[in-house]
Amino acid sequence: MSSPKPWIRNLTPVTESLLAGVVGLVIGAFIMLAFGYNPIAAYRSLFVGSVGSVYSWAELFANATPLILTALTFAIAMRGGLFNIGAEGQLYMGALAAVSVSLLHLPAPFNWIVAILAAMVAGMIWSLPVALLKLGRGVHEVISTIMFNWIAHFFAFYLIANVLTDPQRGERTIAISESARLTRFFPDATLNSGLLISLVTVVVIFFLLWRTSTGFEIRSAGYNPHASHYAGISIRKQVLRVFLIGGAIAGLAGAIVVMGRPPYYAVLSGLPQLVNLGFDGIGVAMIGRNHPIGIVFAAIFFGGLMTGGRIMQFDPGVPFELVRVIQGIIILALAIPELRRLFSLARERLSGRK
Amino acid sequence: MELTHIWGILFISLHAMVPITLAAIGETIEESAGLFNIGLEGILLFGALAGALGAQASGSALVGLFTGMGVGALIGLVFGTISTSLRGSQLISGVGINLLALGFVALMLSVMGAPGFHSVAREVQVPLIPLGIGNLSPLVPITVIVAIGVWWLLRRTQLGIWIRAVGENPAAADVAGIRVNRVRLGAAVAAGVLAGLAGAYLSIDWFGAVTKEITAGRGFIALAIVVFSGLNPLLALLGGFIFGFFDGLATWVATYPGIKDIIPWQFVAMTPYVVTLAVVAGMIGRVRFPSALGVPYMRE
Amino acid sequence: MKTRSDTSSVLDKSDVLLEARGLSKGFPGVWEHLILDKLDFDVRSGEVHTLLGENGAGKTVIANILSGYYEKTEGEIRVKGKLVHFRSPREGLAHGIAMVHQELMLVPAFTVAENIMVGLDAPLFSYDITGVENRIRMLVERYGLQVDPKALVEDLSAGQQQRVEILKVLFHEPEVLLLDEPTSLLTPSEADQLFIVLRAMADDGKGIVFISHKMREVFAVSDRVTVLKLGKTQGTCHITETNEDELTRRTFGETVPNYMERPPVAHKELALNTIEMVPSGLDKKTNSKGISLKIRRGEIMGLAGVSGNGQTELIEAVTGLVPPASGEVWILNADMTGRTPKEFIEHGVAHIPERRREIGIVEQMYVAENVVLKDYRKTPFSKNTVLRHQQISSHADKIVEKFNALVPDLWQTECRILSGGNIQRLILGRETWRKPPVIIASHPTEGLDAKAIRHTWELFLALRAEGSAVLLVSEDLDEIMSLSDRIAVMFDGKIMGTVDGKGADREILGHWMAGGTASAA
Repeated sequence: MSSPKPWIRNLTPVTESLLAGVVGLVIGAFIMLAFGYNPIAAYRSLFVGSVGSVYSWAELFANATPLILTALTFAIAMRGGLFNIGAEGQLYMGALAAVSVSLLHLPAPFNWIVAILAAMVAGMIWSLPVALLKLGRGVHEVISTIMFNWIAHFFAFYLIANVLTDPQRGERTIAISESARLTRFFPDATLNSGLLISLVTVVVIFFLLWRTSTGFEIRSAGYNPHASHYAGISIRKQVLRVFLIGGAIAGLAGAIVVMGRPPYYAVLSGLPQLVNLGFDGIGVAMIGRNHPIGIVFAAIFFGGLMTGGRIMQFDPGVPFELVRVIQGIIILALAIPELRRLFSLARERLSGRK
Repeated sequence: MELTHIWGILFISLHAMVPITLAAIGETIEESAGLFNIGLEGILLFGALAGALGAQASGSALVGLFTGMGVGALIGLVFGTISTSLRGSQLISGVGINLLALGFVALMLSVMGAPGFHSVAREVQVPLIPLGIGNLSPLVPITVIVAIGVWWLLRRTQLGIWIRAVGENPAAADVAGIRVNRVRLGAAVAAGVLAGLAGAYLSIDWFGAVTKEITAGRGFIALAIVVFSGLNPLLALLGGFIFGFFDGLATWVATYPGIKDIIPWQFVAMTPYVVTLAVVAGMIGRVRFPSALGVPYMRE
Repeated sequence: MKTRSDTSSVLDKSDVLLEARGLSKGFPGVWEHLILDKLDFDVRSGEVHTLLGENGAGKTVIANILSGYYEKTEGEIRVKGKLVHFRSPREGLAHGIAMVHQELMLVPAFTVAENIMVGLDAPLFSYDITGVENRIRMLVERYGLQVDPKALVEDLSAGQQQRVEILKVLFHEPEVLLLDEPTSLLTPSEADQLFIVLRAMADDGKGIVFISHKMREVFAVSDRVTVLKLGKTQGTCHITETNEDELTRRTFGETVPNYMERPPVAHKELALNTIEMVPSGLDKKTNSKGISLKIRRGEIMGLAGVSGNGQTELIEAVTGLVPPASGEVWILNADMTGRTPKEFIEHGVAHIPERRREIGIVEQMYVAENVVLKDYRKTPFSKNTVLRHQQISSHADKIVEKFNALVPDLWQTECRILSGGNIQRLILGRETWRKPPVIIASHPTEGLDAKAIRHTWELFLALRAEGSAVLLVSEDLDEIMSLSDRIAVMFDGKIMGTVDGKGADREILGHWMAGGTASAA
């Protein structure tokens, strides 16, 4: 294979993601047709609803904020050659840890600093056993992270209903103290300083992976464990690292959601504001090719799909869940490593027939 | 505890055993051939929807079950193709299937009426067999038969030898003239059929409704049972029963007056997952997996 | 057992079962020269015909072509006089030509009978395991193969496993059997048993092609022997018409090597010392006295021998990759037995690995990153875990220049796209720039052009002058004889003997490489 020019080579993963995105949107259009909706009207609504006004942009970024973090959790593990799909559980624990710090009634700014730290620690506590089981017993992290997700799910229900319950409203926890809440940028939009925290994390992780020896070891182990062993890198250490770092980030995501969400700033029973953020993060990471910068763009894309999707549901009435279908198709398309090659093959065949 | 309670728990366990075991048996075939499908959860969900729709459209529960199997076969085909000829990542395509299922089923539920929930008319649900002590779903004995049948297939037929050879040493199988990717594709479809059947059972037999949460991680518990069973379908039956027992116990504890005040229901609900973890952690060293599991086969 | 002399006259009149004329094979892009160069070869009914040669001579390639695994580039192949062209091993089998490979292609979790069933053409739901087991017992009887059809393959010894491979092939009732280095995994007594089996099969009218580099076997089992060197035959003759010395000379060559003159070894301290060390992976061999190798500082020790005789395992033990099964490994007065690769690296052991792409570099990482693959933690390349790209870049620039590596870019080029030779240049630079006290070099010049080879030899001599010890593992006897202060020969997991590099006798070395045990006179 001839070596393409370096900057072109960097574009290849971008093209693949774009291609997968197109595949998703096209198939989504067909599904809409099948149900009798007008895809053009739907996509116009989607587009306008997501980027058509300052308010929608603000909502888009608000949606993207936690996705950036949960995507980083998955992406760091992938860079280390591991499959961490436990962000979901780790984020629930983070959110609850942040809320429980309110019980301490600390003054600002300690209240939010401690809340964030507690959330990150909670996330790490939830991801550490996965790493230990992998190292000690060879348990595949796919099975263990899912189990921990479900255990977190029920444990969270328990905490919401029994331990952290708001004395006045039984269906949610106590709220984050007022001075600890994240400042909002606009009076009627959810977008808050959590976005800045996310972006800072992106920069930190980028720096970690490509500018430190720690990141060097993680990437090397992910690419080639044998060569890494030869070079003196401890594979076991990397497993611990990616799970701990990933858990901390997912916990942080949970904290940001709860600390930035009006009107209650609490965790609601049934976890509606938190549920699926972990799984969506996986999609974001995949579309973003497990790269911090790609993740930001992919999170914006997903965030846009979310906001636009709600408008699309309003008019022309396409159910919001279609957005999720499109996301699933995009992931499937991304699973195929040679998507581009398939497309060019298909193009050749079709032009050959003509 | 009264006698009726014991029978009650037994019946709930048997019924809870069905979906996990069927999915686990299907995955046993798949993993024996070297494929690792974490999209089982998604196939279960698709099967649940398909089964309900098929039953309603035709008015027959049997057709519903077959619809579930058919849709499962289709998804299995997609997964198999991506994993073999397209040499895709099995883990990523599995995740894709799960996401797609979540989205698609939720979409259909919205379109069909109440978002998130759709009940299946009584008449088209699978009729239960009334035994004096309780009502048993016919799918329970069917599951047992499937377990025995797949055991026989894998351990006592030429096809089983080929499937297992492909999972253990695809290079050797290739050299011996076996079409590795074709066998794997077939295994993926078979797994899809069984998982689809399991999903249909959930909607038109056990719960009588389709919801987004109907699978509740059962696809992943099935994966754990495959580990527990060491790829032996008969042991998967046992494993499924044990997990079904915890599942049933959770329901029982949540509703039995007295106990539900002492043990919070959430902790009981956790037990299947905690037990899964414990079993996988304990078993994994002693269980033998096909050497080529999860690795796409490329002829040099 | 029939003696060779009675069979030779019989052979001249017996049927030629398989014949190749003018056979050539090239692997464009991988090798510049032809692997096989207009070869003639034939196999007759009732004979064991040995193909003798070093690695790279082409023996395995011929066998693979004759049985249908590879395609020939030129030439004709005839089975019993009829022209054939196999496109797959199945076609070869259909014509009665079967090959037993060096690496076992078995399913360890299956029984012997189940393994054989894998290759059968039987209906989907049938399960004639009893039939298969009975047939196995019959073949066992006929050829003396000693295998229990119900045994699990993973429980069998290497020798028994190999018999299963032979059984697999016998089920298809071949007329010609090709065996590629069949004794590489066997103990001497297992090898003898194999010879009895092969003799029985030959007496049954089959033609056996036996590939080997071990002299003892050649004389134990062959009727005829053909020597191969660099893809060309060096003659075919009846075994009775030749002797060991002549064959050794023909196999390993008689060119006079150029020992590179240098001052004698200046140091006395040991840089590398293994004490009765049995590397992991060799512990099942019967000769578990272990390897005792001593290399002084400022000395180049060449380890000669055909690949697969334990060199890889030895290297793994002295670089920390795999802890040894028993014995000790000392590096510069420190007991490093069983320590991690990182500790070996920090203790000054450089390792130029044989598998440069798979282990020597991380292909997907950039040139600059691979240059500091072992040094990234140290100053000046990082400070407080932060990598200092500028320092790394200038260092990488220097290495690239000094070692003439052709790289488009330091930070944009993934090492994956570099040629093998360039990768090796980078690895050489990386491993030697600190002038490490111990250098383990495994096939360091394989695939390099003549100028680079010369450069590397001079580099090793320069490092030697500054006190580095070099363990040079190579299949190229010329290289070993040019560079080494002392030469040890490895065969079957043990050191057969050690001689001085200057004035070393090629014949003795070849003799040891083929398993001979005569001491250096």
